[in-house]
Amino acid sequence: MVILPKDYKHTLDALQDEKLTIIAGGTDVMVKNRNWSGLIPRVEGNSINIFQLNELSYIREDESGLHIGAGTKLEELLNSPLIFEPLKAAVREMASPAIRHVGTIGGNVGNASPAGDTLPILYVYDTVIVLESVEGIREISIFEFITGPGKTTRKSNEIIKEIILKNIDYTGFYYEKVGGRRSDAISKLSFVGLYNADEKGTIKDVRIAFGAVYKTIVRNHELERQLLQSLNSEKSMEDIIDEYSQLIQPIDDQRSNANYRKNCSLSLLKSFIQMAGGN
Amino acid sequence: MSRVEFILNEKKVEFEGDLNKRLLDVLRDDFGLFGSKEGCGEGECGACAILFNDEIVNSCLLPMANVVNQRVMTIEGFSTTKKYKAIEQSFMDHGAVQCGYCTPGMIIATESLLNKNAKPTEEEIKDGLAGNLCRCTGYNMIIDAIIAVSRREDDLW
Amino acid sequence: MKDISISINKVDNISKISGKEAYVGDIKLPDMYHAKTFRANIIKGTIKKITYPNLPKDYYIVDASDIPGKNFVKIIFDDMPVFVENKVSYYGEPICLVIGKDKTEILKIMDGISVTYEEDTPEFEYKDAVIHYDFNKGDPKYKESDDLKLIEGTYDMGYQEHVYIEPQGMIGYFENNKVSMLGAMQCPYYIKNAVLSILGIEPEEEEKNSKVKVKQAPVGGAFGGKEEFPSLLACQLAVAVNKLKIPISLIYERTEDMEFSTKRHPATIELKTLVTKEGDIKQVMAKVSIDGGAYKGLSGVVLQRAMLAASGAYAFDNMIVTGDVFRTNTVPTGAFRGFGAPQMIFSVEMFIQHIAKTLSINPLKLRKKYLVKQGDTTSTSGTFRDTVIMPDMIKKAMDISNYESKTTKYEKLINAGNSVKGYSKDDVYRGVGMSWFLHGCGFTGSGEQKHIKAVVRLAKDANNQVTILIASVDMGQGIKTTMRKLVAHELEIPFEQVTLDDPDTDYVPDSGPTVASRTMMIVGGLVLEATKKLKKQWKDNEEQLIETNYKQPDYVKWDDETLIGDAYPAYSWGVNIVEVEVSKVTYQVNLVGTWSVYDIGKAIDERIIMGQCDGGLLQGIGYGMLEVMNHKDGKIQQKSVTDYIIPTAKDSAKMETHLMNNPFALGPYGAKGAGELTLIGGAPAVALAIENAIGKNVYKIPVTPEYIMELMNNE
Repeated sequence: MVILPKDYKHTLDALQDEKLTIIAGGTDVMVKNRNWSGLIPRVEGNSINIFQLNELSYIREDESGLHIGAGTKLEELLNSPLIFEPLKAAVREMASPAIRHVGTIGGNVGNASPAGDTLPILYVYDTVIVLESVEGIREISIFEFITGPGKTTRKSNEIIKEIILKNIDYTGFYYEKVGGRRSDAISKLSFVGLYNADEKGTIKDVRIAFGAVYKTIVRNHELERQLLQSLNSEKSMEDIIDEYSQLIQPIDDQRSNANYRKNCSLSLLKSFIQMAGGN
Repeated sequence: MSRVEFILNEKKVEFEGDLNKRLLDVLRDDFGLFGSKEGCGEGECGACAILFNDEIVNSCLLPMANVVNQRVMTIEGFSTTKKYKAIEQSFMDHGAVQCGYCTPGMIIATESLLNKNAKPTEEEIKDGLAGNLCRCTGYNMIIDAIIAVSRREDDLW
Repeated sequence: MKDISISINKVDNISKISGKEAYVGDIKLPDMYHAKTFRANIIKGTIKKITYPNLPKDYYIVDASDIPGKNFVKIIFDDMPVFVENKVSYYGEPICLVIGKDKTEILKIMDGISVTYEEDTPEFEYKDAVIHYDFNKGDPKYKESDDLKLIEGTYDMGYQEHVYIEPQGMIGYFENNKVSMLGAMQCPYYIKNAVLSILGIEPEEEEKNSKVKVKQAPVGGAFGGKEEFPSLLACQLAVAVNKLKIPISLIYERTEDMEFSTKRHPATIELKTLVTKEGDIKQVMAKVSIDGGAYKGLSGVVLQRAMLAASGAYAFDNMIVTGDVFRTNTVPTGAFRGFGAPQMIFSVEMFIQHIAKTLSINPLKLRKKYLVKQGDTTSTSGTFRDTVIMPDMIKKAMDISNYESKTTKYEKLINAGNSVKGYSKDDVYRGVGMSWFLHGCGFTGSGEQKHIKAVVRLAKDANNQVTILIASVDMGQGIKTTMRKLVAHELEIPFEQVTLDDPDTDYVPDSGPTVASRTMMIVGGLVLEATKKLKKQWKDNEEQLIETNYKQPDYVKWDDETLIGDAYPAYSWGVNIVEVEVSKVTYQVNLVGTWSVYDIGKAIDERIIMGQCDGGLLQGIGYGMLEVMNHKDGKIQQKSVTDYIIPTAKDSAKMETHLMNNPFALGPYGAKGAGELTLIGGAPAVALAIENAIGKNVYKIPVTPEYIMELMNNE
């Protein structure tokens, strides 16, 4: 059975009553649960379809950051002047127009695929996931929210309400999605790097994330601190790159191999470091 | 089982059944509209593309719940319009059709693109076609057809 | 008279664009049943026991025990069963069809089937040679010496999947006492013969009292993938329809199609040459190994095509050519546009470049020195009889692409090395590559004369409407338009006065399969011959029937046993130039542009041919740089179009194409073969472009970023 909730409150009540599969745009659920054509997709248990809940579709900014309602469609992110360019860059390359018109940001987060294309960007923006249930609101950092491929700490009575991106300043931005072809492809790996330099060229902030090379997105604050120091002291980066190399533990699969994923990730890191003025 | 309504090719219609059913199956099995094709069943090839509130969407990934009270236009509906006629002529003039299996989806992609961007550049056309696979043409003639139709003087879009 | 090449609108344009064209998956017969294939889930072994669940009313299982004839798909060899009898030879081999009206019930029945297997150790290596050919040319007596250097190159290629956007599908039904098939196919008579064989009907019996008919539905792309494979679906359905007398549709899902339908043969081609240091090629040796999968299918003929192309667009005096089809416990490989030639032409084009590099001589000079001229002998000691205009074509392609200045510039760039430690995001290597190639038109050797024996008819009714009766299929290449154009043009009557329907074996004679780039040259040739006859005998408002039969040109001499002589009546030629950028950071390849020149004799419709040129080239380029398919323990890993990457519009590039006018005396209005030719040069051109860009020899396609990284790291 599919529940079509009247409104957001109805959704929370329904989720409280039973474990439901939440469906928004459907672009992931419908692929995962594919059945013989003509038959109903094999969605486990009952489901609730929140695609038409306008209450979850918004983009607004306040002092706590940029709030994006979970039901906001990917295409809407592209069209909004409030959305930061790095997120737009990822959305532009992640999917075809047909997918962007229905796929939602909440879906990409909730799906928690290591190859999820918005995720590396959300990681560098220290995104907070806002979950809600009839019991109340729970805010959790994306680092703690996603625990493995397809795994999150969302409880079955909770819904992803919105995500909050911290507004950060940057003067340099590097994004690369490496897929099997130039569009419409699942990432073999992806990389995002941001840095912020002052007028004197001193780097004040640097952030890096890798997608599809570990069971979750790879981002490490300690290494970023070391990298920041090195960038400002013209120290060699080799140790830091080695450390990242330890964190990047990709797999061989039908789309690429571990060797390429690892080496390419490191090349992108080096290329980014060079862009930031490092050695 | 639910009974819901949606707008199919500008007519209000009813659907009764599981709301997780794919729009593609509803179009083909319940309404006998077979212009939307199944090429891959996972949103990669675009052969099943339809206009969903005027935008291209893969009907193979769209559960009926998403369609309730929304507007769906298939190639059958679109093919009665003036814009369609212009696209059709341009596809013919430029040799954009070979086996034809991807073609209705390509037409839908063209309309969706031109609705948003009446005079797209070649790069923008390629972006607009990124979710529609064609194995016959190598895309050049399709791109030429879209450039030509978007450069018409009657400003259809 | 107007030039026949001037394009007209394709007849099926409007029905296709408007979505009205009904492909097999769109056809619903009254009371139609669905069928699904139940497959073995081991790779190799024996079925010890199979238990079917109790079937509800109106649900059926059809398996090997229901076959009236011999249990094999009649192709060339009698080796591939229609349903597994007890021996499983590849993962997913069909065991039975489950038939019924409700798909959920069918899936439930499939879940209820239990099979006990005894598993065997599968073979995946090139060990079990099942077909072998060899031939020599000239006097290959040379041995390595102080004066003669031995240069070797081994070239590898993986599977290529057709990815016709319409998956395989067939409907079987019983009508007028006939087992009837309607579906996506290239070869209605291959299917008819296979169905006759599985039903145990002798051809003579069928002649007297027809029991089988095959009708083609509009085909949503084929590329060879609907040559022999649909015979399997048809045989399975025929067994079911023969038993149950009900209409049944068997439509593949994409994943099923990608996992279990035929693909282009993976191959390893070892090339060797004995050459002086000045670049005098004394002798060339080629050893071809192709992976046929679990059954021989068409692999022997594919192997021949590959071997016959062993000298590419060049002529070498002395050659030793050997080849084997290896049986492995994998999905059977089969026909795919080019049919063995793409593998060989890739290898030869890379090899001649590698020879020149090894000897430090100019590759272009070496290639020009051995380029085929009219009167040269072919690899099989036949003769290139017709004018070869490759020098003009090469010049043209090089001029429009700026090939020479680009190669030199890019070579210098890469050879200058790079002292920079890291690269910025937009840093690229640039490269340009050029391939020269040919394709033998029509069936290899005496195939047309001995096996196909094409028959073509023209029927004129009392209203002077002329109907073309041929078994050729329009699968997008436009023959519904070009054949009618041919006849209308010759008779100087309006196009509308000529009819050509999708073939139905009840009405059309066996003009042969829609394969081997033979349709316009051979079938079209016969159609034109018939048209000329009709023109001569034309009687207004009278019914007339004209028949023509294929006759091999007298000059063609071929020996099937030794593979010596004229393998083809004519050759089409091509030059592709491809330019790429390779990211210095990720090694991703970006197609910049392509420039092509083709000699296909004469285009019967220029726009249609240009469509073939664009599409074929992008398939070839995809084969060369994008399309990875492999198996792991006998299971295909890329089972969806998400995982098997074919080019999108964004991966394509501007393609500039020129057609030469070089009419072939025996082709209709001078037309030769075109469909396959356009695919063949793509892979070597793009591989050579990447080689030019990165300064490393390429030995394998597709040249993926993963492979480029390997090459770059092997300093």
